[in-house]
Amino acid sequence: MNELPSDFRPDAELGATLRSALEPKDDHAAFVARVMARYDQALARAMIPTLDVLASWFRPGIAAAAAALIAGFLLGRAVLAPAPTSFDAALAPVEGPGLAALVTAPDPPDASVVFTSLVEQR
Amino acid sequence: MGSSEDDAALVARTVAGDRAAFGVLVERYTGQARRVARAVLGDPDDADDAAQDGFLSALVKLAQYDARRPFGPWLMRIVANAATDRRRRRTVRRAEPLDPSLVGGGPRPDAIAVRSELGERLRAALKELPERRRTAVVLFDVEGYSHAEIAGILGIPEGTVRSEVFHARRRLRTLLADWKEQVR
Repeated sequence: MNELPSDFRPDAELGATLRSALEPKDDHAAFVARVMARYDQALARAMIPTLDVLASWFRPGIAAAAAALIAGFLLGRAVLAPAPTSFDAALAPVEGPGLAALVTAPDPPDASVVFTSLVEQR
Repeated sequence: MGSSEDDAALVARTVAGDRAAFGVLVERYTGQARRVARAVLGDPDDADDAAQDGFLSALVKLAQYDARRPFGPWLMRIVANAATDRRRRRTVRRAEPLDPSLVGGGPRPDAIAVRSELGERLRAALKELPERRRTAVVLFDVEGYSHAEIAGILGIPEGTVRSEVFHARRRLRTLLADWKEQVR
């Protein structure tokens, strides 16, 4: 492509001819009025999607926060729940001597005794 | 391309909620927007719809406009994109084969209708050109934008704009020369 100096300037003749070929035939003012008639509608429509987007962000945010709260509560309860001190205590009903023995046991249970007693029962 | 300062002031007033200021901008750029949209779409009704979409889209995005830059290229980019989107969206119409008499050759034009026939031929020739090429030549030769500004409007390198304008001009000048030969 060999460029001439004229390639850097608009071609007046071609430009005028093209302009007349592309020039709209109808009223310029009518077109302006048509655009301005949609001014409010365009601004209103632009606002609605913004609110929709914010709402769509908000809803999963609330759901995620609620899920995190429930998960945290359940996890916390599991971690903070006292571990049974003996096999019998673990099998004992929640109320009754098993629970008392668990609370009053002075030392942690010996694992070998627990397992030995389990094997001997079989 | 209009006064950039005036445009920037009008944009600022529009962003502040001044409806009349936007009206002045529309008034100022209507001709240009409609011609550019028509260069992309061909059909004048589709072009007006696209130009309108462009103005209203610009209204919504006006807060994003950088007032240090000229307003015209920013607006024309939105209008050209609106026209391209509309062309993609509209139901695919089979391109009608061009009447050879419209693009070159054919009978000697009637002296009464020579101007209108030239317009028809130019529109037909424009339709033959790739979309980017015809938009580039209209922005350069009709609207007077620089290669750099057109590069910004079309989102292509400046060298590509020069090449597109060069090839479009070569085609259209040949058509014009043929037409002059016929009416002589």
